Amino acid sequence: MEELLNIGLLHYLVLSLILFMIGLFGVLISRNLLRIVMSLCILIVSVIINFLAFGCYCDKNMDTANVICVFVILISLIQTVIAIVILYKIYQKNEYLDAEKIKDKEI
Amino acid sequence: MSDILYFYMLAFLMLISASGIIFAPRMYLSVLSLLSFILFSSLLYLTLNAGYIALFQFILSGLCIFIYIFLLLKKIGRLNLALKLVKPLKIVSAAIAVSLFGIFSCLFFKEEFTNSLFDIFNSVIEKSSDVIHFSEHIFPLHLMILLLFVSAVVIRVFLLSSHNTEQNEDETKCMKEQE
Repeated sequence: MEELLNIGLLHYLVLSLILFMIGLFGVLISRNLLRIVMSLCILIVSVIINFLAFGCYCDKNMDTANVICVFVILISLIQTVIAIVILYKIYQKNEYLDAEKIKDKEI
Repeated sequence: MSDILYFYMLAFLMLISASGIIFAPRMYLSVLSLLSFILFSSLLYLTLNAGYIALFQFILSGLCIFIYIFLLLKKIGRLNLALKLVKPLKIVSAAIAVSLFGIFSCLFFKEEFTNSLFDIFNSVIEKSSDVIHFSEHIFPLHLMILLLFVSAVVIRVFLLSSHNTEQNEDETKCMKEQE
């Protein structure tokens, strides 16, 4: 019980692991491409929590973790924007965003 | 006590909104869940003394992406798109794969947590002799937002021009076939 009440590094790592599992599950089971992109955002947030937790508990001034997190956020943002543009092009061509139908369709 | 409650409440809300992104019955609910998920995660960052990252993520990943996806859905008229999942067999196999991943990760934590992970991180920190003043060297937020919109416009123009050339090629092909 005391371990549950003393919030430490392990709590944040467990939370990020659960979030990563939810995001991975979403990527695997969703048929809508936009939902898959949003599930990738969950994965990215879980990674950022991991970095910040290690930075907060192992580094005194958190500079390394902050710099890494800024890069992770920017790269994930660019990835999301480009993915959405590609999805829009797919929608213009096919009139749907279903991953199963697009997979079956010959390009 | 308040910190403990704050952490568990935020963790619970994050898990609910993450599930909402995947299992929301309508698309607009899923997008709203994404915004709330980013908001709660930014609040969680505040407990880790990362206020700048919290603001940075909430503005860039939260608001920008939310508006971007919302406008896209409105444009293509798919705000009320119903939830569609893969076949039940695939869902079961995905659940098994994800739970296996979780079990292996827990085993990894158990074996390596007290030994090598801390050592690796501490050695990286100790070996870096440069002192970084984060707030002085990071790009200003408004410059990042400007860069984001410029890149989005460039990509959009590029895609539109390629789309127009494809259309022109199709039209010339049709003309030739008619002739």
